[in-house]
Amino acid sequence: MFPFDQPASTAFYLVLYLGTLVLHVVPMNYVLAGSSYLALLGVWEAARGGVSDAHQRIAAGLRDWMPFALSVAITAGVAPLLFLQVLYKQPFYTANLLLLHRWMAILPVLIVAFYLLYLQKSKRFQARPAVVRMLVSVGIFLCFGFVAWSWTENHVLSTRGQDVWIEQYARGGWFYGDRELPARLALWWVGAFPMLSMILAWQVPSARKALARVALPSLVAAAAAGVVYYFQLPADARQSVVSVGWPWLTLGLIGWVAQVALWTMVWRGRQLRAELWLGLSAAAVLTAAGVTVLRELRRLTAVDITEYYEAHAAAARVGGWWLFAALLAMNAGLIVWVVRIACRPPVDADSPGT
Amino acid sequence: MFYYPVNDFGPVMKGMIIGGLGIFHVYLAQFAIGGGLLMSWFQWRSMRGGADGGELYTRFIDGLFRVLVLVSFVTGAVTGVAMWFTTIQISPRTIGLMVDEFHWVWAIEWTFFCLEVAAGYAFYRRGPTLDPRSRLTLLLMYSLAAWMSLFWINGILSWQLTPGAWHETHSVWQGFFNPTFWPSLIFRTLSSMATAALVACLVVNLSSRFDAEERRRLVHASFRFLAPMAVMPLLGAWFLAAVPEASRTWAMGGSIAMTMFLGIGVGASALIGGYAVVLLLKKSMTVNGATAALLIALGFGATAGAEFVREGIRKPYTVHGTLYSNSITQDEVARFRREGCTTGDPYPLRGERELPEQLGLGAHVFRVQCSVCHTWDGANGLAHLTSGWTDDQLRLNIAQLQRTKNFMPPFAGTPEELEALVQWLRWGHADKPDGWLATDDPRVIAQIQRHLDEVGVEPGVRVGSSADSNH
Repeated sequence: MFPFDQPASTAFYLVLYLGTLVLHVVPMNYVLAGSSYLALLGVWEAARGGVSDAHQRIAAGLRDWMPFALSVAITAGVAPLLFLQVLYKQPFYTANLLLLHRWMAILPVLIVAFYLLYLQKSKRFQARPAVVRMLVSVGIFLCFGFVAWSWTENHVLSTRGQDVWIEQYARGGWFYGDRELPARLALWWVGAFPMLSMILAWQVPSARKALARVALPSLVAAAAAGVVYYFQLPADARQSVVSVGWPWLTLGLIGWVAQVALWTMVWRGRQLRAELWLGLSAAAVLTAAGVTVLRELRRLTAVDITEYYEAHAAAARVGGWWLFAALLAMNAGLIVWVVRIACRPPVDADSPGT
Repeated sequence: MFYYPVNDFGPVMKGMIIGGLGIFHVYLAQFAIGGGLLMSWFQWRSMRGGADGGELYTRFIDGLFRVLVLVSFVTGAVTGVAMWFTTIQISPRTIGLMVDEFHWVWAIEWTFFCLEVAAGYAFYRRGPTLDPRSRLTLLLMYSLAAWMSLFWINGILSWQLTPGAWHETHSVWQGFFNPTFWPSLIFRTLSSMATAALVACLVVNLSSRFDAEERRRLVHASFRFLAPMAVMPLLGAWFLAAVPEASRTWAMGGSIAMTMFLGIGVGASALIGGYAVVLLLKKSMTVNGATAALLIALGFGATAGAEFVREGIRKPYTVHGTLYSNSITQDEVARFRREGCTTGDPYPLRGERELPEQLGLGAHVFRVQCSVCHTWDGANGLAHLTSGWTDDQLRLNIAQLQRTKNFMPPFAGTPEELEALVQWLRWGHADKPDGWLATDDPRVIAQIQRHLDEVGVEPGVRVGSSADSNH
């Protein structure tokens, strides 16, 4: 079963890459879908006035946690970016170089988005007119949309091979797009909303019905985007998804069906009890894991990974793996300790919160 | 060799891009590391109570931590990722080699990033409401994580300059704990403490939470973090003693630019250190916001000077003894002398007009071998560096580049490629006319070949192995 059907060192790095990529996808979905939600809400408020209490609670939770979520998304993104370079440095670096300033622009854009998130969170800003708040929330969304588009563009270009790279270089263009790009971007974008809904269910359980109204249509839309994307793929990629990727496709579908079922229960009035929360979380992560592995399978139909087997084997011979595993465990334990400390009751009940 | 598409940054030298971003990122990272240590120390002092005034320190920590989160967690984190992306833009082979050799070190560093973010945000959100012991625990964990990220990245960066026994063994740990590892780690730690103390002074002055007397007390307490700067000269000497002889010579007068930047670093540090001595001795004195900002600017200058020297004295390498600045390995030089450096490059020339074959080849050689450090007529421009050279001087000086300037890599191409580069340079000096006659005199090619054979393919600097620091 993919990725275990690869030589040991390649499979090893693929597992690390995919595992850490899922860790990145969860907060990335929160940020991407969260910024979209807030932008939509901002436009609604500016055009039509107030929104329901549930949506206000959701928006408050989002505004409060988005800066942290972006920090987590960026930090979690470092590890897959590292293993990506071990696995596919030539195509990845080439795409980086070809997109040049356009690609590098994601960095200042991220910084701007980060500070706008803090601005959006501040109490003083909340007192500003709805139009100003809308402009900021739409600005944040555009920043993250730009980053998402750039990543997708970079990824697609990295898989296109040398003929396309040479053509792109000769043209001197900073943009690349083909028919796969919009379908792929749409799948990632709408697919982010169910994950957002799941995390918000933990944060704002009282808004469960409103969240179900976000999650259910976006699950349907994500499925539709997935089908469209599937038919945009070349025949060999479609075949690979079915013949090699069927276990992951099945896993993703099981997660999707479970999410639809559980959100439907919530929508029909079921309380969000712990087991329901856990079920939703597991289902969302299952879907994300399935889609993430299928994404890699798509890459392997375009990139000949066998060319890099030797490089992966050489990388695997470099020392340090055992220390990484030990320090990963140690720091995971310390993070748990940090969370426990953060959950301690305030030393003075009258102290104002932050 | 895998060829990557090479981009042109106009009049800007590529090293300036990565250097500029690198210095900015290093300064932010120093604030994050030193800031954690400073706040842990303040928290510990606040818990000791007594006349020191625990409440004042607590208030100070909570204010400074917000600044740290806004500056370091945002711009610091993103510029860290930007360093990777920028290095890819400038030298993908260098970053590729570093990833191949040290990906587990980077992966370890990532685990500490995660702890840093967790501890940092836990303190940011809950710190003000927690008991002192919990606050100290979170701050210590944040500090440990931030400093450990320095520990791990320092090993990779110092390896680039002094790979040490790695040349022979290719052991990641021998490369990591290389000859300049400890002096640069301690130096950077002290720089971080100094940076944090200076930023703390600025924050204290800008904040409305403190009255004049409180500001004076906080400034004096913060300035104690500058005291360890006293050992910086010793660390600098240790570092210079550990680098290769040629690198040391450039820093100590052999290269005007290197010596000037070393002077800036030392001078700015001396000014900060001198000010710290005066302030620590004179209790009634304080630092106002303008002075604090000036000291921070001096600190930035000191960091910039030190980083520029560290990057510059590595020439002609990006990884000493292994990979030249133009991303060509020592082994490839001999091969390219036979086969040519452009023959395998699939990427065409880009430009406003079609060049005759020989000029096109010369432009291609410039792109592959020179463009990473030189521009045509911008920063470090060849138009200026080669002006006044005759054809024969160009041929000799380029063919024996490592002898012309020992911080240059050997020319890695055929005599025909070299002659094409010479003609491209001459054409540029002649204001790029439309017509340009190709040179095809076999005696010229034979002469270039003799120049190349005479100098060989070895670098101009001596490269050792385990003792590469002591030649």
